[in-house]
Formats: sequence, structure tokens, C-alpha cells
Amino acid sequence: MILLTMVARVADGLPLAASIQEDEQSGRDLQQYQSQAKQLCRKLNAQSPDRCTLETGDMNFHYLIAQGVCYLSLCEASFPKKMAFAYLEDLHNEFYDQYGRRVPTVTRPYSFIEFDTYIQKMKKSYVDSRARRNLGSINTELQDVQRIMVANIEEVLQRGEAISALDTKASNLSSLSKKYRSDAKYLNTRSTYAKVAAVAVFFITLIIYVRFWWL
Amino acid sequence: MSGFTNLNSSAGYSQNSTPNGGAAPPYQNGPVQTYPAMYPPAGYYGAPPQQQGYSTIPGHAAPAPNKAPVTNNAHSANYYHNNHQQQQNHLPQHRVAPSPYSAPLSSAPPSQPYAALPSAAPPPTNAHYNQQPFQPHPPYATPGSYYGQQSYHPSSARQHPSLVPVTASGPGAPLYPIVSYPSAPGSSQYGTLSSSQSTSAPVGMPTQMVGAPLHQYSAAPPPSTTAVQPGYGVGPPGQTAPTVVNGQGSAAQNAVHQHYTQSHQASLSYDSYSGVPPGSGGADTDQPPSGTPSTSVHSSPGHHQGGDTSSSTTGSASPVPNSYDSLEGGSYPDSMPPSNDMTNQAAPYGSYGYPSMQSAYQQGPASHTDASPSHDLYGQSGYQQYSQPFPNLSQLSAALGGLSGVPELEVEALRPVNLLQERNLLPPRPLEAPEPNVSSDLKKVNCSPQTFRCTLTSIPQTQALLNKARLPLGLLLHPFRDLQQLPVITSNTIVRCRSCRTYINPFVTFLDQRRWKCNLCYRVNDVPDEFMYNPVTRSYGEPHKRPEVQNATVEFIASSDYMLRPPQPAVYLFLLDVSHNAVEAGYLKYFCESLLENLTKLPGDVRTRVGFLTFDSTIHFYNLQEGLSQPQMLVVSDIDDVFIPSHDSLMVNLKESKELVKDLLTSLPEMFSQTRETHSALGPALQAAYKLMSPTGGRITVFQTQLPTLGVGALQAREDPNQRSSAKGVQHLGPATDFYKKLALDCSGQQIGVDLFLLSSQYADLASLACMSKYSAGSVFYYPSFHYIHNPAQLEKFQKDLERYLTRKIGFEAVMRIRCTKGLSIHTFHGNFFVRSTDLLSLANVNPDSAFAVQMSVEDSLADSSLACFQAALLYTSSRGKRRIRVHTLCLPVVNQLSDVYAGADVQAITCLLANMAIDRSVSSSLSDARDALVNAVVDLVSAYKSNVSNLQQSGLVVPASMRLFPLYILALLKQKALRTGTSTRLDERVFAMCEFKTQPLQQLMRLVHPDLYRLDNMSDQGALHLNDTVVPQPHLLHLSAERLSRDGAFLMDCSNVFYLWIGKCCNEMFIRDVLGCPNYASIPPNMVSDSKRCIYVSPSMSGNDRE
Repeated sequence: MILLTMVARVADGLPLAASIQEDEQSGRDLQQYQSQAKQLCRKLNAQSPDRCTLETGDMNFHYLIAQGVCYLSLCEASFPKKMAFAYLEDLHNEFYDQYGRRVPTVTRPYSFIEFDTYIQKMKKSYVDSRARRNLGSINTELQDVQRIMVANIEEVLQRGEAISALDTKASNLSSLSKKYRSDAKYLNTRSTYAKVAAVAVFFITLIIYVRFWWL
Repeated sequence: MSGFTNLNSSAGYSQNSTPNGGAAPPYQNGPVQTYPAMYPPAGYYGAPPQQQGYSTIPGHAAPAPNKAPVTNNAHSANYYHNNHQQQQNHLPQHRVAPSPYSAPLSSAPPSQPYAALPSAAPPPTNAHYNQQPFQPHPPYATPGSYYGQQSYHPSSARQHPSLVPVTASGPGAPLYPIVSYPSAPGSSQYGTLSSSQSTSAPVGMPTQMVGAPLHQYSAAPPPSTTAVQPGYGVGPPGQTAPTVVNGQGSAAQNAVHQHYTQSHQASLSYDSYSGVPPGSGGADTDQPPSGTPSTSVHSSPGHHQGGDTSSSTTGSASPVPNSYDSLEGGSYPDSMPPSNDMTNQAAPYGSYGYPSMQSAYQQGPASHTDASPSHDLYGQSGYQQYSQPFPNLSQLSAALGGLSGVPELEVEALRPVNLLQERNLLPPRPLEAPEPNVSSDLKKVNCSPQTFRCTLTSIPQTQALLNKARLPLGLLLHPFRDLQQLPVITSNTIVRCRSCRTYINPFVTFLDQRRWKCNLCYRVNDVPDEFMYNPVTRSYGEPHKRPEVQNATVEFIASSDYMLRPPQPAVYLFLLDVSHNAVEAGYLKYFCESLLENLTKLPGDVRTRVGFLTFDSTIHFYNLQEGLSQPQMLVVSDIDDVFIPSHDSLMVNLKESKELVKDLLTSLPEMFSQTRETHSALGPALQAAYKLMSPTGGRITVFQTQLPTLGVGALQAREDPNQRSSAKGVQHLGPATDFYKKLALDCSGQQIGVDLFLLSSQYADLASLACMSKYSAGSVFYYPSFHYIHNPAQLEKFQKDLERYLTRKIGFEAVMRIRCTKGLSIHTFHGNFFVRSTDLLSLANVNPDSAFAVQMSVEDSLADSSLACFQAALLYTSSRGKRRIRVHTLCLPVVNQLSDVYAGADVQAITCLLANMAIDRSVSSSLSDARDALVNAVVDLVSAYKSNVSNLQQSGLVVPASMRLFPLYILALLKQKALRTGTSTRLDERVFAMCEFKTQPLQQLMRLVHPDLYRLDNMSDQGALHLNDTVVPQPHLLHLSAERLSRDGAFLMDCSNVFYLWIGKCCNEMFIRDVLGCPNYASIPPNMVSDSKRCIYVSPSMSGNDRE
């Protein structure tokens, strides 16, 4: 069962097209997944693996990055991985044909929302078990699904946070050391002043002593 | 006075604070509960006019009725006078009231020093700053820059308290007596309390509360805090203000919480009003006398839900988890998790080296002498000017206000008009909205009055002043109006205030190149880098030239932060009644024809989906899946447990299945022509429609021709035809069942709007059925006695309406929020919507024909600003799947003189707002109450004006010229179908008229209330408009009086949705021939309907009149 499909630009995570969930038992709260998908699209960058499956509870996110566009789908864990990636591959082919060249120029979110119609159709054919059999036979050799990396969504989403936490800590450290440096300087000068003052006092006393008592 | 019998304010408060919001049934907060809540204010002020009951209202109109009340110290209208007199050692009353002509002047005094100065010789301090090298730069007027400045440093205002007009209680008092009134509202309130106790003359009885002014009732379910304010009976300002502040704060936080648990974990407190501004409570705001009210309300759990009360929406919050409320409030772009900085993180604000530009744009135009000092002064980039000894800010603003206004206009608006003597009150042309008295720069950019209108174009500074004026304060909005030209802005960052989330608008102040100050909460914000670039002029470094800052109405293309889900496609479902009754009425054929014609014009894109459902005693679905040879009909006869027979083929893509849809529309009228089924299972059909639509949201259009008789939501005939003309109360104005309301709330939660077309010849209980549209932001159309042969006029109207309905713009999954300047608060909403989280209106669908009204109160003194601003932001998904935000901003001056308030009164807006309030009142209480309240509103005004402003001791009915049509409009209102008694009115028609009042825009409504009458046969080109090549003659408006009609004339009456053409018997034959195409009077067909946009009736009975 494919629950959610999203197409986004990898460079900045701008959503380009999406299929609104069409689920008769809409009691299921997809809102949370929707926002997870949005975050995920923002996290992904050119360095991310091309194909990946992310586990989140009893659902899996499958994504495919091609030509700077990320195709993301949310499926039930029981949905075959092979089918999911075949589906994403299909989307990619069609999407690239239709809008590929305009992808880098758009600024408005969901500029190609009309692609939704195609997504719906594809989804239907992949979810339908009868049609699936035919597709399955075609796509057996399509890819070696075993090689696709599996990761947990939490890790992916929090990776950036860990790095940024590290970053904050490092900058904290550097500012602290700066403070230490200036404090140390200050202390140094103060002690120098104290020494000078002590010497000065000594000499002044000496002079006064010499001036008034010796002479 | 009735009010004094109810001084138990504590009782009132304890009632209020009970959590009565959420699950309250629709009208649970009816009179019984709300009245006690109103007592505390009523005690001071509230119920004055009805002291002798409404039976004696004529007595009020008698000369100088308020002389007597003064002595017994109990009359509200004189309340401030009494009070003041006590404090002032009993000044004679006539000294207290200045003449209306002197009043405008009195606002000017502080300004005079500056006003008199020519621009060549500015005061020394200004001179200093004027000699900046920047002066030669192209002058640019930053609208409202002086305004923003004033409140920025309230401390400076405090340094010169004596210069603030309002606080001039000492020396200023003798000169400008009115000025001193607001200076001690708190003390005066309490002064009256004690005095009222001492004067033990409670003439009124508690039972007379029914006649209390309309404003107080305002159907105030939102617990009390809000209920208290509407009226003239506001308690001590300090007491009410924090109450609501807390309430709002908690509600807002709650909403935020709700949202972020679901999606982002951004942090924010987007409701700026939760913070009481430090220093904003000037010299004249009292601290709350006791903290109890605020805390009790704050802690009441149901409070935030109570917010959804408003006029038309009571009841439980939508059960569906929603976080749309936070959408319009928006999340902070950079409060997203730190690492996602791709699109929406506000970029670090680097410094840009435009030193010479630093302040150029702050300078006012050279010609604008009065404004330039302030502009120049504050235009500097540095901050040192704040420490400069400079005339007080309020003083400056007063100077600005005093000068920039048009005094003659004001004087004209204030001219006392004796209604008993003047007969020709109507202006020659339809009344225009009064222009707010702001500087010409602001006037130029201000929002169009057709979109955004305030009942008082001069906002009173304090609630006390508002109470004294005895006029309701509110806004009338037509936010989604069809606009000719609308700047649409696409940018990655939409610039908004960080604390109150106000969108940047023409009335903000640019402190320097990098910062701007919000005009609603006065917070200083950074100007994002992107905003520095102006896409229109392609120049850099001119944030003030951006279209956002040049237009009061703009539309933004929203970023994905404003979407909870991908934008939905346009989805239309038509729910058609095909019972025997419907077939008899014959609407189906015309509906199908109309839809076929307009199928391509339905707003939408390639994703647009449609579906059809018909019902009688069973429900019929239509499978229109692409690839079928013809539509398949699926019948579900189990109406107790409705299910959807097929999931993906009932709502189909219009583009792909167009042929099938056309097939269906052609065959549909024939399919049911032989039906004998008389029952109607509307309720189950609606449930099925809801199930069908809930995944996507969209619009359900219901056509119903009779009372629903089967399944859930079945209704009984409640109307007693013999009671139609009874002068006693009218029963059954409320819904009989809450099924339709619950369904509507469910629909609203799933972004489904329900529109109802009722074409019934018999009673169909519109009061219950209309709920399905009221709460889901739909619209209601009603065609009484519709029949395709017997009633061609209705058929014509139906066809025209339908065409407009199908092709008009539509916005989906919309929310609207109205923000206003700190110190003002909105407490009641009118219109079709569901109120989510106190101030967020959820509109499943928004259409260009519906309008909204809100009521406001002044919570905090507005003394520290000279302008009040209102911003309505409507976030919606267009039919092409674009998420957009339409923002309207209105800017009005704040005044501290009663005469100024009257000068700025907008009589049409006031009438419309009162009509809305009266409708609420008649549903929650009774029709006679509402009528009395309307009458009292007029009586209040007349007595308040007489005692406070007019110093002419003339007898008769004296009102300010700006309000001279008020009594006429109210009388007209009382004759409307919605509110009339005594004349036979069918219940459905009455209820429909009420719906119209709540949703029609002001222009339509006013023509409905008081139609425009013109004489047609002797039109001349005098004063005609020349549009392009055509000459449009401008006939004079005529009074709606039989004396204006003559036998030899032809008259046209424009009643908004219908034109009446009245032909006199001796009318010029040439005119009849040329215009109507008939040779002479006798040959005019008795019932002639012309094919125009609106119907033209030549009513036989009317022309028959002439023969008598």
C-alpha cells in the first residue's frame, strides 16, 4: 500500500509535486508522516545515497534521487521493496520527461502539482494486485534491491542535529577559551600593576623617610 | 435604572468564568446565561435607554428628555457627566459640552505650535535634523512613520505628560472639557458606583433588561470576557483588558501546542496580544482593580474553546485534529530544526553599505509640511534622537492629525441635523463611505472601503469614549471580493512581524534601512536581505518601494510552510434531490443545462474532480470512471448505515471523464421524470457525500426541494401558518436538530464546504438546513415557490445565480485571521465560518460573494498612538492548486474627542453591524428583543449626542449630519423580512433573509435595506459620467416615499437582487416605446421579466396602483 508520494528538489528541499493521501480509512493520521517527509526532503542533499529505505515505525519511506530530484514514497512495511522502487523509477521517468528541464528554475512550492494525476494512476496500478503481477515480472531484473541501504528515519533526521550540537559545543568552547585568554591577560596586568605599586610605595616611603627623618 | 439593580459584578464574573465554551449546544448561551454576565457593565452604563421600558421610547424623542435623568444620577447617557460634575465640584452641564464646531479645533491645540510653522523655518530641533545632506534625495513618505515612532519610546511620552492631550486633566480641563473625561475613567467608574448606591432611585426593574441595547448582548458565548466588552456597558477598562489578554494568550499557546505536537517543533508565541505592553497604559489607564477576574478566566479550561462561539458558531471544536490554525499564524522560518537552513532560514543580516541612503526614504515630501518634522527627525539612522528634547510624540501626532485632516468635511459631518425639520436627507448620489481623517499619503494607500470598512472611521481612544458615543465599533469585511487589479508577490520569505505575525504593510515604519517597526504591536523587526531588492523597479536598497509597502491589499504566494498537506485539487460534488417534488418543480433540467454550459468554466486545473449523487428515499451514486461506455448508477438503499459502494470511481477527474459527465448530465433529467418517490433522505445523502469528500476536501452543492423526511436529520414541519403575521414573538428561528451543524463541523474539519440551494414551495425548515452551510463557510440560496413554469421570475433568478455560482472564483482550505492594533480586541464574528482558536476563522471554502463582520472593543487606551490599524489575512488554496495569502490592511486615526468620533461615523457600516447583531439577538433571545434593541440604538445615539456634543438647546431630534440617515435605516431595517412583525412572513423566507444579512457584503445589504430609487423618464446629461465613449447619466436618488412617485413618470428601484420598474399611467409614450418596446401603457404585459443580469419586474400590482 502506497500512502504518500512526494517529489522534491534535492538542492533546497522545495516540494515540486505530491499526491494527497487517498485512503478510505483516513482515521490513520498521516499528518505526522507528512511533516516527516517534508523534513526528510530538506535533509537530503547531493551526498545522500541515491536509493535508501528509511524505517519509521510500521511504515517505510523509500526514496530515490535522480537528476537532482528526490522521489519519496511512504509505504506500509509489508509492501515489497522491489515494487516500491519500481514505482519510484516509473515516476522518475515520467516526471523527468515532462518537467525535467524546468525543475531548477521554479520557486513556488508544488509547481508541478498537476503531476498528481499521473501519480494517482501509477499508484493505482501498483497497488492493484492483479496489475502488480504483470509489472513484477517486467521489473525483476530492474535492480538489486538487496543492495539498497536501510536506515532508520530518526537517525537521518537527527544526524544534522548532532552535527549542529557539536558545532555549538565547539563554538562554545572557542568562546570560552577566548574569555579565558582575556581573563588571564587581565590578571597578568593586574598583578604587574600590583607589583609596580608595591615598589612605588616602598620607594616613596623610603624617600619620605630619608627626607624627613634622616635629614 | 435597571442597571443598578444588578451591581453584583462578582456574580457576573463567576458565571463567566465557568467553562461554558466547548461543548455547549448552539444556543445554550442564550439570554439566561449571558444576561447576568452583562450586568456588571450594565450597572455603570448599560441599560440606560430603556429605563422606562420601550413603551416610552417616544418620550425619549421628546425635547430634552435627559434633563431629568441627570438629577437622579442613574442615567447612563449622563453618567460621565454626573461623574465628572461630582469631581469637578458640579460644573454646570453646559460648560462641559463644547459646541460641535469648536470640537474639531480642540484636537488641534497641541499641534498649533507646529502647525503654524512654515516649512522653511522648522523648530530648532527639526532644523538640526533637516540640514542633513540626505534631504535632496527623492522625497519619500513613509506612511505612518511618525506613528510608529511615537510609541516606540513611551518613556519619552512620559517625560512630558502634560503635553499629552488626553492627560491634560489639570489646565486643559476648563478649555477642552471633554478631553479631561477619559483622563480618569477608572476613578469615574467607581465614583459612579458609589454615587449610584447613594442615589437610591432604581426606577428600572431587572425585567427590563430585555430592552437593553443590542450591543451588550452580542450573543457572547465566549466566556464573558468578550461578552463584557461589546456593549456600552463596559466595566473599568483595566479590569476587562487583562482578562481577555490572558484568555487570548492561553488560547494561542494552546493552539500552538496543538500544532507543534503534530508537525514542526518550532517555538513561538505568535499572539502578540498576550503581552501587556510595558508603558502602554498611559496616564489614563487604571490598573485592574482586582486580579481575580483575569485569573479566573485564564484558568477556565474551556475558555479557548469558548472562543469559537462568535455569533453563528457555538459548539465543540472540530474533533478532527487540525493544525491549520497555526498555518496562518505560520511557523517561524528559522525556528525549524537548526540544520534545515535551505529555503526558509532567514539569512544573516549582513550590513550593506548604503550610507547615503540611510535615511533618505524617511523624509516626507517637501510639500507635506506638517509631517516632515517627524519624518526628518526619526529618519536618522542613529538612535540619539530619542534622547533629544523633543516635543512629545502624541503632541506631534495630534499636530499631524489636526492638519492633515480636512476640517471643513468634519464640520459638515458634525452639522447638527434636526430630523423633525429637515425632510431631504438623502444625498443626490448613493452614499459613499466616509474617508478616514488621515494624511493624504495614507489615504492614497488605504484599503478600499468596499473591502474593509469600520463603523467608526475615527477610532475612539478609550472604551469610555466609545461608550459615550453609544455607537457600535466593528469591522465589515469582504475579503475575497473580485478585484480588478491585485499585486501578487512571489518571494521566498514573506516579511512578517516576529511577535504578532503581522504581514508587512504600508503603515509600518522603517526605522532605518535594516529595521522596520510593526504597526500593530510596535515591535522592531529586521528587514530580511531579500526584501532589500525591489523586483518592480529592479533596484536594490529600497525596501519602502516594495509592492507590499505600496499597497494595502496584496496577495502573497505562500511557501510550503503555509501548507499542512499538498494543495488540494478543486473538487466539486453535486447532491441532487430527485424526489417527486423535485421533478415537479423541474429544476433538474435547468441545473444540468447550466452545468453543461459552464463545465469548462468551472474554476480548476487538470486535477479538477467532480462527482454526482442523487437521492430520494435511496441514494444513487454514479460511476464515471474513465473507460466506461456510459455512466453506471449504483443505488444504496441502506440509509441507516450509509457506505460508499466504490472508492475511486465516484469522484472522477473532470478532464479525463468529461464525456461521461456530459452523458450523465444529458440523461439525468429524463431518468427520474416518472418517479413516484416522495420521500427525501437528505441526511444520509449528506453523510455519504461527506465520506466521499473527506480525503480531499472541496465543495458539496446540495439541491433540496422539500423537508427531509427519512433517516438521520429528518425534520418536522414546525411552522404554524396562522402565526405568520403575529406581532408576538416568532418561534423556531433556531435549528430543530443539531445533526446539520455537527455534519457541517465535520465537513469544516475536512475542508469541505456545503452550499445549499433550497427550491421549496413549502416549508422546508431552512433554520435547520442552513446550519450545514453556516458552519462550513458555505452559502445559502433560497427560491421560494420555485416552479419552472409557474414562476418564471424565480427560474430566471435561479439560472443567473447558478451561472455565477458555478463560475465564480473559489478558494479551498482557507483560514482567515484579523489582527488589530494593540489595545483593540475583536470579540464577536458574524458570517458563515467556524471559529477555531479564538481568532482564527476556518473557511473550508471561500467565495467572492460572502462578507464578514466583527465587533470590537477598546481594551487598552490607544493614547500612545495616533493611528489604529487592522489587518485581515486570508490564506487559501486557489482552484489551480496555489497556496496564496491575501492581506488587507486598513489604517484609521485615533481620536480623543467625542465630536470627532461622530464626525467619522459610517452610518451604513453601523446599520449593517447592528443588523447582524439584531439577527443574533433574535435567534438567541426573541425577535421583539432585537427590534427593541435596534430602536434603542437610535434613541441612545440621539440622547448621547444631545447631551454630550450638541450645545444647541433646540428641541427636536438632533443628530450629527454624518448619522442623519441612521433613524431612517433602522426603520427600514425593522421592515425587512428578517425583522418585521405584523406582516405575514413565511418562516423560511424570514430565516433566509437573516442568512443574507449575515453574509451579504455591505453594498448589497444597504440596497436591500434601503433601495435606491431613481426617476428614469426625465434623465438629463447634467452631471453625467463620461466613461470612454458612453455617457452614463446620473439621476438623483429619491426618497422612498409615495410623494416622490408621479403618474407621469417611470421609476426604477434597485433592491440589490431585484430591480423594480414602476411605470406611471400617464408616462410618456415615447419612453414606453423606446425602453420597453410597447406602443403604449395599456399594452405593457402585466408580468414582464426582462432578460438582464438581474430580474426586472414590472409588477402589475404596482402599476395597478396608479390606476386607482
